Amino acid sequence: MTHRQLQLVLLSGVVIALAILPRVITDVYMLNVLVLTLMYAALSQSWNILGGYCGQISLGHALYFGVGAYATSVFYASFGITPWLGALAGGVISMLLALGLGYPCFRLKGHYFSIATIVIAEIGLLLVHNWDAVGGALGIQWPIGPDSWVTLQFARDKAPYVYLALGLFVITWLVTYWIEDSRWGFWWRAVKDNPEAAESLGVEVFRSKMAAAALSAFFTALGGGFYAAFVSYIDPESVMTFRFSLLFALPAVLGGIGTLWGPLVGAAVLIPLTEITRSYMGGSGNGLDLIIYGALIMIISLAKPEGILSLFHRNAKPDARP
Amino acid sequence: MIISRRAALIGAATTGVLPVSKLLAQGTQEVVIGAIYPMSGSNAQVGVDARHALETAAEIINTANAIDLPTAKAAGLPGLGGAKVRLVFADHQADPQKGRAEAERLITQDKVCSIVGAFHSSVSNTVSVACERYAVPYMCADSSSPSLHRRNLKFFFRPAAHDETFSKGMFDFLDAQRAAGKKIETLALFYEDTIFGTDSSNTQRKLAQERGYKVTADIKYRANSPSLTAEVQQLKTANADVLLPSSYTTDAILLVKTMGELGYKPKNIVAQAAGFSEKAVFDAVGDKLDGLISRASFSLDMAAKRPSISYVNDKFKARAGRDLNDNTSRQFMALLILADAINRAKSLEGEKIRAALAATNIPGSETIMPWAKVHFGPDGQNPDADPVLIQYLGGKWVTVAPKDVAVAVAKWPMNP
Repeated sequence: MTHRQLQLVLLSGVVIALAILPRVITDVYMLNVLVLTLMYAALSQSWNILGGYCGQISLGHALYFGVGAYATSVFYASFGITPWLGALAGGVISMLLALGLGYPCFRLKGHYFSIATIVIAEIGLLLVHNWDAVGGALGIQWPIGPDSWVTLQFARDKAPYVYLALGLFVITWLVTYWIEDSRWGFWWRAVKDNPEAAESLGVEVFRSKMAAAALSAFFTALGGGFYAAFVSYIDPESVMTFRFSLLFALPAVLGGIGTLWGPLVGAAVLIPLTEITRSYMGGSGNGLDLIIYGALIMIISLAKPEGILSLFHRNAKPDARP
Repeated sequence: MIISRRAALIGAATTGVLPVSKLLAQGTQEVVIGAIYPMSGSNAQVGVDARHALETAAEIINTANAIDLPTAKAAGLPGLGGAKVRLVFADHQADPQKGRAEAERLITQDKVCSIVGAFHSSVSNTVSVACERYAVPYMCADSSSPSLHRRNLKFFFRPAAHDETFSKGMFDFLDAQRAAGKKIETLALFYEDTIFGTDSSNTQRKLAQERGYKVTADIKYRANSPSLTAEVQQLKTANADVLLPSSYTTDAILLVKTMGELGYKPKNIVAQAAGFSEKAVFDAVGDKLDGLISRASFSLDMAAKRPSISYVNDKFKARAGRDLNDNTSRQFMALLILADAINRAKSLEGEKIRAALAATNIPGSETIMPWAKVHFGPDGQNPDADPVLIQYLGGKWVTVAPKDVAVAVAKWPMNP
């Protein structure tokens, strides 16, 4: 069995295990944590396409997440269009937005690109804040209806959301898997390692970055649409703040940036840790949960700067290619 | 070496993962109530204060107190055989998603019989929907967005005023001043661009039109603006009879400072609380604000008419080291109203508590608030939660309206 085939077997194993989990865990709160973990794994996987493989560190992905969440909510709450289509529409809008923004921004190098993404996302937040047609500062409340796979509304049952988030993760994983071994994948890694050298060898650097940004934005927006359906209420502060941009990058960085499994491993450590410490220690108001959270990130970054995944790869060279 | 690192990592990852000891079966000796507040992040102080306010309320419910407040006289809840109230706090970090997750956790794991919250209107939104789905009453203590009680929720209750009631109280006062022969023809609206300022100005604009006031300046500004010079110039040119600002702390300070620099002394200011009820503003620019009037949910000087206020304030101050304010007074009262309903319901079932809440009828004199009465409409809103107007005179706040709770006559105009 080749290394690539092994990965697919591993994915099947993980999917089967995660699909059974909602039958084993019945606690609503724990399922909520599982949904968030899978959702952030998928979002981080989407971020990883641009940030990990192509090396363009975006700290403004909250913009695409917000566009997805808003498109889905506006289409559903105002026009009754199913969130399935709304999220797709959000994905397409985000993709176009990423291309439009990438055109000027990808001329910026290194840190300047990251700064530009932060600023643009903040502008997006302000625009939505003052845009009355999408609820302005009030946000959008999803109508409360019966449980349905068409409207993606489930009152008490969290299992459907687990499957949806898992589905989203599998799709982003498969896309990343396909990219790894495609011409784009090799181009993107070349762009990441050394754009000048890559260009001299005939890699189309600008087009590589644009393609990675469009793909990454599309899936981030799908995640935004899912989040809106999951929470059933969005406002600018709850989907478009800088916090989200960081939350998409962190699992990938923590688990192993530019790797296939990094985002899932990172999210599986980070999200349960933040959620559970907040829930069981946060009520006291003494901030113990945040101290533990910060300490963990420090421990990992000191002990394993390449991410948790590097613990399992100690014999292989991190960037060794077949 | 690597194994020990791995072990260390796993150790760190599992720290705190195990739920703190689950509570054993309790019978009816204990009434568990959830409280969801921002305990960390930029509004953490609100959550910490809320904890003090709710714990003060729980203390008054659980012990015998000779004051005229619901559930205060007996120790515990007589309707449930003297059962004691126990609070479980959760942190929502101003995130609607986290708020909802915490509500579901409190309901399914801690088996709370009702929930109090949540300061942020956005979080109250999702928490109340979660409560609705689990048929658990939600007592909205201090979120004031008017949209909250317009969603046809059966388990949503708000004893305090919402933002429209606040503006109405301000205009009732203006009407009373005008009836008393004071000249009030023109108004200037000045508001920040987030949900608070937008809602506030929309209501004020509508009320001004309905009640025959002319709005001569209608100025929206960017919250946390570095300069308000252009805006204050417009206010100065309009020189309306009353300036109605809706601003948070830093903007309020900047507004007053800029007015001083440009030599603009408004004839009167009637403020929509927020920044203008914060101590920080009066510490910084209080000398320029003598005679300012603000609406408020609560006023300490009402203690002269209601002894229970000083009693509660002393108990609260012993815990929090500060006086009750707009928020903490509402949180305190919300828990008492909830406990009163649970006591009458004689049950911890959501439906029964809901029915008892819907039948609530507490006269204003049995609260620490200026409200006329506590009862709930079909939408869960208390229609008689009147605000008060307080005036800043000689470095102190004095209640000047409405008449039945006023302790002084308003100084009008503020700057002759």
